[in-house]
This record gives sequence, structure tokens and C-alpha cells, in this order.
Amino acid sequence: MQGFPQSGVPGPGPASDGLAQLQATMHAIEVACTSIQMHINPAAAEATILSLCQSPQPYQACQFILGNSKVPNARFQAAAAIRDAAIREWGFLTADDKRSLISFCLCFFMQHASSPEGYVLAKVSSVAAQLMKRGWLDFTAVEKEAFFNQVHQAILGIHGVDVQFIGVNFLESLVSEFSPSTSSAMGLPREFHEQCRRSLEIDNLKMFYCWARDAALCVANRIIESNSLVPEVKVCNAALRLMLQILNWDFRYNNNSTKTSINVFSAGARHDTDSLKRFECTLVQPGPAWRDILISSGHIGWLLSLYAALRHKFSCEGYWLDCPIAVSARKLIVQFCSLTGTIFLSDNGQMHKHHLLQLLSGILDWIDPPDVVSKLIECGKSESEMLDGCRALLSIANVTTPFVFDQLLKSIRPFGTVTLLSSLMCEVVKVLTITNTEEETWSSVARDILLDTWTALLVPLDSTGGNAMLPPEGISAAGNLFTLIVESELKAAASSALTDDVDSDYLHASVSAMDERLSSYALIARAAIDVTIPLLMKLFSERFSRLNQGRGVIDPTETLEEVYSLLLIAGHVLADEGEGETPIVPYAIQTYFADNIEADKHPVIALSSSIIGFAEQSLDPELRASVFSPRLMEAVVWFLARWSLTYLMHPKEIREGNCDSGHGQAHQLQSLQSREVLLSFFGEHNQGKLVLDIVVRVSITTLMSYPGEKDLQVLTCYRLLHALVQQKHICVHLFPLDSWCNLAHAFANEKSLFLLNTAHQRSLAQTLVRSASGLINSEASNLYVRDLTSHMATYLRELSSMNDLKIAAQQPDIILLVSCMLERLRGAASASEPRTQNAIYELGFSVMNPVLVLLEVYKHESAVVYLLLKFVVAWVNGQIAYLEAHETALVVDFCMRLLQLYSSHNIGKISLSLSSSLLSEAKTEKYKDLRALLQLLSSLCSKDLVDFSSDSIETQGTNISQVVCFGLHIVTPLISLDLLKYPKLCHDYFSLLSHLLEVYPETVAQLNGEAFTHVLGTLDFGLHYQDTEVVDMCLRALKALASYHYTETVCGKTGLGLHIAGLKDPGGNLQEGILSRFLRSLLQLLLFEDYSPDLVSSAADALLPLILCEQGLYQRLGNELIERQANLTLRSRLENALQSLTSANQLSSTLDRINYQRFRKNLNNFLIEVRGFLRTK
Amino acid sequence: MSDSEEHHFESKADAGASKTYPQQAGTIRKNGYIVIKNRPCKVVEVSTSKTGKHGHAKCHFVGIDIFTGKKLEDIVPSSHNCDVPHVNRTDYQLIDISEDGFVSLLTENGNTKDDLRLPTDDSLLTQIKDGFGDGKDLVVTVMSAMGEEQICALKDIGPK
Repeated sequence: MQGFPQSGVPGPGPASDGLAQLQATMHAIEVACTSIQMHINPAAAEATILSLCQSPQPYQACQFILGNSKVPNARFQAAAAIRDAAIREWGFLTADDKRSLISFCLCFFMQHASSPEGYVLAKVSSVAAQLMKRGWLDFTAVEKEAFFNQVHQAILGIHGVDVQFIGVNFLESLVSEFSPSTSSAMGLPREFHEQCRRSLEIDNLKMFYCWARDAALCVANRIIESNSLVPEVKVCNAALRLMLQILNWDFRYNNNSTKTSINVFSAGARHDTDSLKRFECTLVQPGPAWRDILISSGHIGWLLSLYAALRHKFSCEGYWLDCPIAVSARKLIVQFCSLTGTIFLSDNGQMHKHHLLQLLSGILDWIDPPDVVSKLIECGKSESEMLDGCRALLSIANVTTPFVFDQLLKSIRPFGTVTLLSSLMCEVVKVLTITNTEEETWSSVARDILLDTWTALLVPLDSTGGNAMLPPEGISAAGNLFTLIVESELKAAASSALTDDVDSDYLHASVSAMDERLSSYALIARAAIDVTIPLLMKLFSERFSRLNQGRGVIDPTETLEEVYSLLLIAGHVLADEGEGETPIVPYAIQTYFADNIEADKHPVIALSSSIIGFAEQSLDPELRASVFSPRLMEAVVWFLARWSLTYLMHPKEIREGNCDSGHGQAHQLQSLQSREVLLSFFGEHNQGKLVLDIVVRVSITTLMSYPGEKDLQVLTCYRLLHALVQQKHICVHLFPLDSWCNLAHAFANEKSLFLLNTAHQRSLAQTLVRSASGLINSEASNLYVRDLTSHMATYLRELSSMNDLKIAAQQPDIILLVSCMLERLRGAASASEPRTQNAIYELGFSVMNPVLVLLEVYKHESAVVYLLLKFVVAWVNGQIAYLEAHETALVVDFCMRLLQLYSSHNIGKISLSLSSSLLSEAKTEKYKDLRALLQLLSSLCSKDLVDFSSDSIETQGTNISQVVCFGLHIVTPLISLDLLKYPKLCHDYFSLLSHLLEVYPETVAQLNGEAFTHVLGTLDFGLHYQDTEVVDMCLRALKALASYHYTETVCGKTGLGLHIAGLKDPGGNLQEGILSRFLRSLLQLLLFEDYSPDLVSSAADALLPLILCEQGLYQRLGNELIERQANLTLRSRLENALQSLTSANQLSSTLDRINYQRFRKNLNNFLIEVRGFLRTK
Repeated sequence: MSDSEEHHFESKADAGASKTYPQQAGTIRKNGYIVIKNRPCKVVEVSTSKTGKHGHAKCHFVGIDIFTGKKLEDIVPSSHNCDVPHVNRTDYQLIDISEDGFVSLLTENGNTKDDLRLPTDDSLLTQIKDGFGDGKDLVVTVMSAMGEEQICALKDIGPK
């Protein structure tokens, strides 16, 4: 690596000697840049450039290169070097130096504004922006003003178009540097960035906006008047971009007090952040201060007319629909649609409505009339304007209620905005139906945007499910649209039914893949529920009868695919996804059927019954073979699961507790009755039990009569059956059913259920055990679970006591059966609940010995070993909190035997294989095993925190901390540093370790020397791990360790005792004690290495006790640091900084909260002060 | 014990003779074993797809030959049977490595087994020879399936 002489030291004028040196440096950099481009020895070239960045005070050289080099890349690198060096050395640059660096950059890009190498200018301007931010809080207002004056002059256009352009560009870099998501970290804490952002937002942002607007205004006329591309376009485009960027700012300080922001604006716009977050839509809320420039000044009118003028120019040379300035103008217009909040007067939304109407009338040309627009696009016109129009509608929908949204257009057209939206979407759907490709076309993009718009309008506003009301016209528009959508979906389904390409299979592999689009369809359907449900009913019955009539005659595939689609759509319309909670009947369905009091006429009942009736037909073997393909069954099962959660056995309390939402009294009374009819129809006293029986029999059928259909069985096990047992009010009705008992009996006895994927068997076991919550009491539940699970335990016990076990066990069929039993056991164990705890405990207890025997027998069969471990993990995890002292002792003893056995099989074992992928598989298996063992230890650990037993575990002499520590002692040697590279294992390991060290440091201290060293060796690894969370846990562990030792020794005890003293390694060399080593490596990390600034606080917490423990070493290290520093100024800075690190803020030598806090502050200051120059090479 | 379990035990009768067992394709999981093109393989990847949209499921297996390390693939309808090899692993203490490329192993009942060749692959060979050369007590695991056998793991059991 080539070093550079210290060129920044102020000398008596540039002597000829100095000049030669500068030229040499420039030459070296130019050569390096050229050779990188030519790929000649790039490593050396990079090293040369790096050494420029890292040399102390390289500014003079860099400025020389920027001013004189003919190689643009060299100038680029010089700018980068200025940035790196200045950020690093900022702390000890003089105020003059700082200012002159920024001025240099500003002058440079303005002087060279017409240079053809735009990227060099952009770099210099971003360097200027970063340096300005770095010094933002130190500069006085006058200093900042001086800089900005310079920029303002440029933007005004006094120095010509190029300078104007570069000036606007500079502001763009500056704003993005101050915006948290795009800022550079610069090694500074978050508070710094927050302060800068606040200051810019309050003091400068509006000013910048005005400058940009003025720049655009002053060039706009030139652009409009001229008939060809003029250079002013560049400036105007940049100014529009800057305005857009400023409107994208996340405004925080827009109100005088936070309270006003809640309720100022309610009539026209909505403020429910919940639903807005769902669409990830950004609202623009700059606050009242911006009203004058954005709203009242006619700014928007100007912008719209500018774009209108541009539209006329699209035929001219240099302009087209997608030319940059047109794109920027459109984006800005769309952004204005998202404007909301206190910027508008609280005049009942009048001002806001006026604003939106103005925008909408400007946008209307882009999208209206829809059929003409879509034809033009199909004929080759660019779609971008139309898509931006859709985006504008989406933005407007996000800031208005459906009513206001619809009204907007009424003042200028005979129809409302919803009608326009609907006809636009209809047009798009028509085009989609015709093109029908899987590729992304303009129509599919437009469809997605418009669907989001519908969702924004229709999504329920509050948790009670109250729906936003559409005006009558809007409702019929929604109805038409839904009809068209369903038609188009059916057509797509029919035409794709026979295609068998893998890609589309992949796209639709999961039933829930199209979920998002379908839930938007459902919202549209629910808006016009009285039309759409009968429509679905009609479509279903047409297809059902077609299937029945054509059986054996016509190939049903197309119809099957149509029914498949319809089932998905109907499922979404009728019910919501539960997402872990009990979904309620959609509000639209609860309320809109006021007249249909009789059950047999209620459309929802009719539709549901007809689908359930169809599903029931799958029970007939003949029909099953001819109609119910696996794929169709997937949709059936999915529908039943979703539907059952909402409608089946609807519990009374929800029904009654739900009536108080405040939607018009009269309406409510009317609707109550129809809702009551709907819910009680599928309740326990009506059809509920019958339907539940059908559902259970359908699930048995899919599990037993569709061998090997994994996708179907996944849905049955994880969706349908889980949905049934997840709710107590359904569970209660399961046991009286013969079908449920049949399922439980088949589970234990039927061969076909042993052929299910083993993971599904686990889930089935879990489901069956969990259903015990439907039994009357704990005795009955335990009895049921014992019956259900006895076959597993019996099998394992008998197998493990076989004489020729060793030979028999290796047979593939035995391995399969053992795997099934273990997965079932694991499923049962993981479903443990207080009322079945007893039975599950006995179950596990009865297989303790077999588990150990099998672990020995299958020691080479890693798949079985893993299942064994996972079962034990699940069992211990479910039981440990409930165990009495003597039971705990047994379980702990069992776990330790398990750990020892596993360890004895695996320690020092090397797998040999020719295949690298088999070797890596073996490693992955090991990692999974170890992770399971760590989970086991964590579960044991939790006994000390959560314990429901009647007596203390100490009565049996069990000490959890000792147990876990001993376990760790067994496991740690198996965890090589290589394995710790698996992130999950690493995370688990260190969270267990830091927990142990924090809660039981004294137990860890009792480990023998070797084990202790190994455990702490991994800590050292963790400190340098890339995941911040892991480093943080290591730091916490370190803090715990050091503070334990310190507090103990202060009281005159031994603390960590021998571990602290230096040990002699086998070679006879004295090694440092543990804490000394960590003090050294932590200081090394903090001062010289890269880490996230978030870690400084935890590092401080670890460093303080370490320093207190090892004061002698700390002094020595400090002195070494000082002595290594050749530069006298820096040396004294370092001395002072070290001094104040341990003395500032009245730091004392106690380990209490306040003192930790003080030290954190000290360390932060210390690092900011010295890290810059310590890291300089 | 219920009837069905006894049914499962029945297959034990021909255990010694059989080199492979039939097993439904849908039940074979990743990390299990399978015979592909008459070679015993470890399954490293299973995926399912359908024959036509409304057809039945089929399994796509990617296996690695447990002896040669070669990659093999197969597609089988889920409900059909596949052959699963009977893979046996036995531990022996390593007594000697002879000049002619054979190892001498001590069986559990005190006899010796001298018919096993050392692997021909250099890196495997070095790993075994180095371990033995250091004078450690080594246990080797011999994997056998479908009439072939090979050392697949070694373990140092020497005193610490």
C-alpha cells in the first residue's frame, strides 16, 4: 500500500516541493483509477485509493486533484476522500477548515456546472450536503445563511441554466441527506439525525420549496413558448423533482400542539391511521404553515396548466408522454392528491374538497372516457398517464370518505366518481379478459391499483365492522363491476383448466395465493350484497347441475376449475380471515337482508347450504372419483374451514354482545331479525350439528381416500380441523358425533392414517388431544387422551424391549413406524393443557426409558434422533411448569441422561462422505439437534420463573441453575464455532448463555476451568458476530459476569476466583485472566472496529464493570494508546478524553443505575471525540 | 396393542433377507432413504406437483447416492410405492490398516472383520489414516445397503 505524505499541514505557502508532491499524489490516483477501469491489478489500485481516504488531512491533495486532474474518475475519488476524511476528522478540524471545505465543494460544482461529467458534480454536491449536515448543529445561523445565499443565487438563475440546475440538485442531495431513511449514518447517534431533521423541517424546508417553485416558474414560460426542447426543461424537471421530494418528507413538527392534530379535520377526510397503514399509502401532512404556498397561492392551478401545456407539446420533438418532465409533473400532481391534515382550514372540509376537485378535473383527461383511453393504449399509446390517473384516484380515495369521493365528480359531470371508477375498472377487466396472459400487462397493473382504490373506499372503518356507505348509484356500480369480475375470473379459470404448465401451477400452488386480490373482490361484492350473493348462487347451481348431468359424458375439467374459482370467491365474500381471532359475520351480511326473515329465503343461508350440500357429495365414492379431484377438494376444504369459523355454532354471547354498534336504530332493529335467523340456522338447535357432522366426515375422507395428496391434507389438518378444535363452542359438539369418535378410533388403528405425511400425523394428534377441551371435565379429558395415545406408548415400549432390537430397528418399515409414533407423541405433547396435563405427563413418563433405548439404537439415524429430541422438547416444555418436586427431579434426571447419551454419540464424530451436499446435510442435522437441545435447556430454565407446583423443587434437592449449567457444559463442546454460524442456533445459544450469566453468575463460576474457558470463548466469538442482537446479548452476558465479580470482590469474597487469575497454557506460557482478555477485546472493538451505534450503550454497561475489575490493565492499555499517538495535539486530546471517560459526570466506582447511565454518556462522548483519529491509518 | 400394530410387526419375518422395502411415495420425507435407478440414495429434496390441474399428486425426489455421492432424480405418483433401501450401520473398533488397502475391524463379539476395503478417495483415506496414525483409539461406522458397504464415519474414543 502506498502512503501519502501529510499534505494537510498548513505550511508557508505551496513551495515547489509541495507542488511536486501534490502532482505525484494526483498522478498515483489517476493511474489507480485508470487501472481499475482496465482491470489491471485492481486490488493494488483500490489500496492506493483507500490510502488516500485514510490518510490524515488529505484535503489539499484532494482539492488539487479536483481542480487539476483530467481524469474524471480521479476527481470522483478525490471528492469521496474528502468526505471520508472530513467525517472522520470532523471533531478536530477548526471551524475555518470546516467552512472552507464546504465552500470549496459548493464553488466547485457551481464553477463546473457545465462540465459533461455529471457524476462528479453529483458526488461533490452530495459531499457538500453531507458535510453541511455533519456541521449542522455547530454552524451559526449566519454561517448557514452564507452558504444558502450562494445556493439561492444559483437557483434564481442569475448564473445561467446549468448553475441553476446544479443548485436545485444540491438541495435535492441535502434534503435526502436529512431525511432519516436516506441519510448516511456518519457514525453518529440517532439523536443527532433527529435534531437535524427537526431543524431542517422547521427552518428550511418551506424555503427550499419556494426556491424550487420559483425556479420552475421562471423557466416555465420559456418552455411553454418554445416549440422545441430547450435547456430550461432540465431545470424545470429538477425543480419538480425537488418539490416532489419535499412533499414526500415525513412531516412531524407540523402542529403547535399534538392535540390539535387529532380532531381538527373530520367531516371531509378521515384520520383512521389503521386502515391507511394497511395500504402503505403515504399521506402528505405538512400542517397549516404550508397553506399559503401550496393551497392559496394558485400553485396547483399553475402546475395543472403546466402539464396541460406539456400535453399539447407531446407531438413536438423532444417531448413525449414519458419524457422526464412530464413524468415528474404527473408524479407531483398525484402527490398533491395525498395532501391532507391541518393544512386545510377546519371549514367542514370545503377547502379540501375544492382542492381535490381542482386536481380531479385536471386528471380527468387522463382517464375519461375509459373506453377511449383503453382503446388508445391498446393501439400503442403509452399507458403511464392512465396509470398515474388511477394512482391519483387511489390517493384521493385514501383521504376521503366514500361519500365525499363520489360527490367530487358530480359537480362537473352527470355521474359520481364511484361510477367513473367502476366503468374504468370494467374497461380494464375487459382488456384483461381478452389478453389473458400470466405476464404483467398495463391492464393488470391498472387493475391492482383500482382494486386498492376500492379497498380504500370500502374497507370497514371501525372494529365493529361498520361499513362505509356508498350512495345508491355507487352500489349498483359496484354490483355491475362484481358481475364483470366474476365473469372474467370464470373465463380465465375455464381457459386455464387444461393448461398444465408448471409456472402457473406454481403461481396458484396455494389456495391462498390470490388472497389479496380476492379480498378486494369481496369488499366490492359486499358493497352490493343483495345482488352479488344471488349471482353467486346462480353461478354455483348452473355449474353443479352441469357436473351432474355431464357425468361420464363430458370432460368436467373446465367446470371443475370454474367451481374452484367460485369457491374461493364465495369464501372471501361470505367470511373474513380469522387471523387468530374469531371472525365475526361481515357487517354487510349482518345488516343488508332486512326483508328476508324466513330462513329458507335468506340468500346467505341458501348459498351456504348449497355449497355444503355439494361438499357432502364427495362422501360418495363414485361421485368422488368422477367429480371431486384433489384440487377441487382443496377449495372445498378451504371453504369449509373459513366458513365454519364464522358461521358454525355461532356462540350466543358474541351474537348478543355485538348489537350495540351505533348504526341507526331503525335499521338495526330490522337487521337484527335477519341476522338472528342467519346465525341460529347454523347453530346448535338447528342445522349446526348436521353441518358439523358433514364437515368432520369430509375431513376423514380427505385424509383416508386421497392417498399422497399432501396439499389437500395440509389444508385438512392445519386449516379445517384446527378451525374446529380452536373454538370451544364447536368442540363441545364434536364428541357426541359418531364421526368424531370414528376419526379418533381410526387415528389409533387405521393403517391409512399411518401413511399420512408424518408432520400431518403430528398435527392430527395435536388436534385430537386439543379437542378434549370439549369434554365436560378433567377426568373425562384425561381418560380420553389416555385412550387416544396409549397405542404410541405401547408400541415404543414393546419395540424397545425386543430381543433383536438392534437388527429389527434398522428396517425401513420399523423406522417409518417409529417416526410416525414419535411425531404423534410430539403432537400430543405440544397440545398439553392444564386439564389434560396429567395424562400427557404419564404418557411421556411411560416412554422415558424407551426414548433412551431408541436414542442408543438409532444413534446413526439422524432423522429419528431429531424426532426423539423434538418430542422431549415439546413434552418438557408443556409439562415443566406443572411438575411437582419429585416429578421435576425425575424429568431433570431424564434430560441429563438424554444429553449425556447424545453427547457421547456425537462428540468427536466425523462424517465421511464423497458428497459435499451429504456432508452439509449432516452438518445441518447436527445444527437442528443442537438447537433442540438448547430449547430443552431453556425450558428447564423456565422452571425457576414459572412454577405452578405445590411445593418448592428445592425439597428434592434439585437446583435448576446447576442442572442447566451442567447441561450447557455437556452441550457446549458439541457446538463448534462453525455451527454457530447458523443464525438461529447462534441466537438461541447466546440468549441461553446471557440468561444464565445474568441470573446465575455464581453457578457458571463453578464450572471447571476448561469448560468455563470454552463457554467464554464462544462469548468472544459472539462479540464479533454480525447480528447486532447477538452482540448485544454477549455484552449483557459480559456485564453480568464482570459486575458479579466486582460486587463479590468488593465484599471480600472470591467472585470468579481462579478464572480471573492468569492460567498457564500447556506450553507453559502465562495466559491472561478471563476479564482482562475481555477488557482488551472490548476496547479493541469499540475503538478500532465497525459496529452499530446502537450497541454503544450495552458496550458501556459491560465496559464499566470490566474497568473496575481490571483497573491496572485499563491504565496500562490507556497509556499504550497514548504513547502510540505520535501527533502531539491528538495525544493531548486522547489524554483528556481518557481522563474524562472515567471522571466526567461525577462517575463513581459503584455499579448502580445512575452510575451506569453516566458512564454511557461518557463513553458516547469519548467515542465521538477519539474514534475519528484513532481509526486513521 | 391393537391389531394393526401387530400387522406391522409381521414384516419382521423376512427382515434378514430383504434389501429393500416398499413404501408409499407420499410418506418419504427429506432425509429419508429411497432407491433410485437401483441405487440407495438419501433424499435431499422432495417436491410435489400435479399431473394436470385436476389430476393426482406426484412426488419429485432428488437423492444422493449414499456410496458414490452422485445425484439422482425420480418422479413417482404420490400414492404409488417406492423402494426404500435397508441401510444398516455398525460400529467397529479399528485394529489395523493393511498395506493392500484393507482395514481390520474388531466386531462386538470379539471376532475380526477383514474384508472391508479402504475408500479409494484420497481425502477420505487421509482422514482415516491420519486419525489412525496419531495413535488414537478409533471407532469406525460402516454403512451397508443393497450389498455394498463403506466406512461412513469415524469417532475418537481414546482417553482424553
